[in-house]
Amino acid sequence: MNKTTIGGNKQKAANALAMTGLVIIFIAYMFPFLMVVINSMKEKRDIIKSPFSWLYTIKGLSLDNFVKAFTQMDFPNAFKNSLIVTVSATVLVTLLASMLAYYIVRHNNKFSKIAFALMVASMIIPFQAIMIPLVSIYGGTLNVLNHRITLIFMHTGFSMAMSVFMFHGFIKGNIPIALEEAAYIDGCNSRQIFFKIVFPLLKPIISTMVILNSLAFWNDYLLPSLVLTDKELLTLPLSTYSFYGTYSADYGTIMAGLLLCVIPILILYVVLQKQIIGGVVSGAVK
Amino acid sequence: MKKSRGGKEFCGFALPGMFCFVAVVIVPFLYGVYLTLTDWNGVSSVKNFVALQNFASVLTDKQFWSSLLLTFKYVIFVVIIVNILAFAIAYLLTRGIKGQNFFRAGFFTPNLIGGLVLGYIWQFVFSRVFVGIGEATGWSLFEVSWLSDPSLAFAALVLVSVWQLSGYMILIYVAGFMGLNQDVLEAASIDGATGWVKLKNIILPLMMSSITICLFLTLSRAFMVYDVNLSLTAGAPYGTTEMAAMHVYEKAFTSRQFGVGQAEALILFVIVAIISGIQVYVTKKQEVEA
Amino acid sequence: MKKAILSGVIVIAILAALVAVAVSGCRFGFASNPDDPNEVDTAEPIDTSVDTFQYDPSLEGTSITLLNSKAEIQNALVEMGAEFEKRSGVHVEVMPVTDGDSPYTKVVSLYNSGNPPTMSILDTTDVIALAEEKAADLSGEAWLKEAEGYLTEVNGKVYSFPLCIEGRGIIYNKQVIEETLGESFDPASIRTLDDFVALLDRLVAAGMEEPVSLAMEDWSLGAHHLQYIYETYDGTSAGAAEAIEKIKSGQLDLSTYDRMSQFLDMFDVLMKYNVAKGDPLGADYDEMAIDLVDGKTAFWFNGNWAWPNLEDADAEKDDAYGFLPYFMNNDPDDFVNRQIQASPSKQVMLDGVVATEQQLAAAKEFLNWIVYSEIGQQMLVKTCNIIPPFQNNPYEPSDPLSRDIYNHVHDGAAFNASAIVPNDHWSILGAAMQKYLAQRSDRAELIASIEDYWAQQQ
Repeated sequence: MNKTTIGGNKQKAANALAMTGLVIIFIAYMFPFLMVVINSMKEKRDIIKSPFSWLYTIKGLSLDNFVKAFTQMDFPNAFKNSLIVTVSATVLVTLLASMLAYYIVRHNNKFSKIAFALMVASMIIPFQAIMIPLVSIYGGTLNVLNHRITLIFMHTGFSMAMSVFMFHGFIKGNIPIALEEAAYIDGCNSRQIFFKIVFPLLKPIISTMVILNSLAFWNDYLLPSLVLTDKELLTLPLSTYSFYGTYSADYGTIMAGLLLCVIPILILYVVLQKQIIGGVVSGAVK
Repeated sequence: MKKSRGGKEFCGFALPGMFCFVAVVIVPFLYGVYLTLTDWNGVSSVKNFVALQNFASVLTDKQFWSSLLLTFKYVIFVVIIVNILAFAIAYLLTRGIKGQNFFRAGFFTPNLIGGLVLGYIWQFVFSRVFVGIGEATGWSLFEVSWLSDPSLAFAALVLVSVWQLSGYMILIYVAGFMGLNQDVLEAASIDGATGWVKLKNIILPLMMSSITICLFLTLSRAFMVYDVNLSLTAGAPYGTTEMAAMHVYEKAFTSRQFGVGQAEALILFVIVAIISGIQVYVTKKQEVEA
Repeated sequence: MKKAILSGVIVIAILAALVAVAVSGCRFGFASNPDDPNEVDTAEPIDTSVDTFQYDPSLEGTSITLLNSKAEIQNALVEMGAEFEKRSGVHVEVMPVTDGDSPYTKVVSLYNSGNPPTMSILDTTDVIALAEEKAADLSGEAWLKEAEGYLTEVNGKVYSFPLCIEGRGIIYNKQVIEETLGESFDPASIRTLDDFVALLDRLVAAGMEEPVSLAMEDWSLGAHHLQYIYETYDGTSAGAAEAIEKIKSGQLDLSTYDRMSQFLDMFDVLMKYNVAKGDPLGADYDEMAIDLVDGKTAFWFNGNWAWPNLEDADAEKDDAYGFLPYFMNNDPDDFVNRQIQASPSKQVMLDGVVATEQQLAAAKEFLNWIVYSEIGQQMLVKTCNIIPPFQNNPYEPSDPLSRDIYNHVHDGAAFNASAIVPNDHWSILGAAMQKYLAQRSDRAELIASIEDYWAQQQ
């Protein structure tokens, strides 16, 4: 008896310690983001002279930076472009990558091995190394740049390797093959097995990958800047260009623009968090 | 799973994804490899075949090899710290503590700040906050800006990378913990396994696939570090913090030696491929299937 | 699950509120000043009533692109393009190069994509790298004679249009110097390095502890400071090229080259009075502008492009800022002590590979419009705030820094020498200069790095 109480107290103390540590780390993690929020409401001079103060600024706080960012970025149009590209590419990559990963896990043949090895290896190709060949092929030879669909296709291709890798790990570790064998005996074909049984079980990893991928697509600068030059098609990060000068940057507006850009991703994250919890595998298996 | 259905399944399941991947990544990559064998400078209309001349130039590029050495050092620090930290935080965030969703959203924020703003904010932290602390406390560690001393600037790079990468890895570890079979954990608890024993004997083996992924991702991302390097230090002070990926980019575009830069990128790729190949092989062996 | 939503809502609530208020445009906080001059649009009005320019009606409907690597004039160029379209019917699409990409990388990727811009605003070294391979020959254009002395030739041909003159030197804040010393300050009275040091000492004696701001950025150190050793060879671009050739071939020994040691003499002075002396590599560029405007310092080594920074720091257009030369020795008759460096920086290159005849003609018309039309002339100076390299342009820039460079150029108190160095010069030798600035290396080591660098260039 005595022993367990001591253990319990120890446990509590450890918990409290862990909690304190967590809060400290949490503040450190949040700090830069809070800086962005605070400084997005200040004028450049105040940002440089007193970046941390909120109340004691010379010129006070205002939301002018947000108004300026909103109009200069042509926010509604850029938002629409970003939304179309991000949603299409995310849906596409989630579907194609989960199917491909499923195939690779369940078919231990030569193709699977080579494809998987190729994908893993490709994740370490520096993007700068394929940037110029990429534009020569798609621009110079095929002449398909400056279309949203090209960007969507490329986003899908570039995120394929990592998505397959993640799905692969999850399917292998968490999806019992017994379930599928039972369904197969019940007369389901492989398509039905995948979409009715396997896919729903992938919810936690799908949520994770949707966040990671859409974050990457939404915030990406380099690839869209290579593919899109038509002003009407510019995505949000591309549309913040005018805030950066060669020798000076308009920090207040940049930070306001950044916040305007990331709010949708933050919302998505909060919504999907619920999904991660809702899709716990053990619950579904029971 | 009968073999006879393999062909049809292949077309339905594997082909579309594979096509995207090959068309966007593999084909340009192979074309890029071909370019390393020519004297093309990125602009001219003629490409002369020069065999391995570009690779020979890489051997004499001292700056490349020293940047590679620095990158190794950086990778070791980053990979270890990121994974321990992210694993621990994800573990705490999936134990049902109060406000864990709020915490999770907070730990996600490093992912939201990129590019110039990231560099600017952190320069501020190192040049102002730290120096401010130094003035207040008299600690010599904070006396000058971290970014003006070679070894402290390196530490600053590691710190910022840990901050950003762990935000990402927490997400993956959280998904891994969420995917754990609760029955196994409960059974273990009933059997009397607690604390470290439970972690070491039950959780770690079950989390091995997440660990494989996170190790691999941190490894490859740390090797390829470019954005943080460019926006935080841009190689300063006096070129001591220039990592391999940044050097490759500078070589190809700033120094205008496209072929040499491309060849260096290829060498970097091969090195990272070997290292992460070994890592994946080793950690995969530890994985248990459900 | 409700909890999850709730906590999420808390996190984004602040942000959502921000956006909501942003749209309504409300203002709150302390000490906010509605009459703040920075809030007012400072663009000068353009007189569009007179336009005698001959537009070619056959070009109407042509569409051309302009790649802009001078980010601070992005909006101004868009305005200019729109005005030109209104009058000529030629559509000019302005494409920006931004953060992260270098202009050269952007141009290279656009050429590879088969969709290069009709016109590109590039640095001189980029133009030289691309000229013979990609650019249209502009040697027969009429504006060549208006830009005499500011043209860049590649093997006897002109491939680029000089867009602006930029100059650099020691920026001073006249009012601060006068207030600190309690007497009037005449920049012309400072004629040698010793005069300059004496002035600095007097400022220190009068209470200004460290009167100089010295940027640590590699582009400032590697390009703007160090290139004086080539540019002051004889004060011409040809001389700078000759100096570089001699360094490369070993004919000019840097350890005995007088301009090298003179340059470092001046640099040492700047280092000695540097406001960030305790931690020279921790200096913050934006803070320097504020320090100069507030009078914490009196001098800042920089160029006329620093005006937007000063303006952000609350400097007014009628404040007295100007340039002192980069003093290198004590001979008052040496041109380096009397003149400031000012030369064309950004150039417009026309695509000669993909562009159609029609597009090329439209692009040439646009360039002519900038040089010859009343509106183009005004917009170049007033909208873009550029110092024009064209003799026939009667307009003067309005900010004090550009105006001072403009006056120097027109009074013959500027030397036009630009050193054409490889593109990585600023970054590699900028690092070597940083090391010197941080006092981690000495003159011998710095000189050895420069010699090493040139030895590696074939």
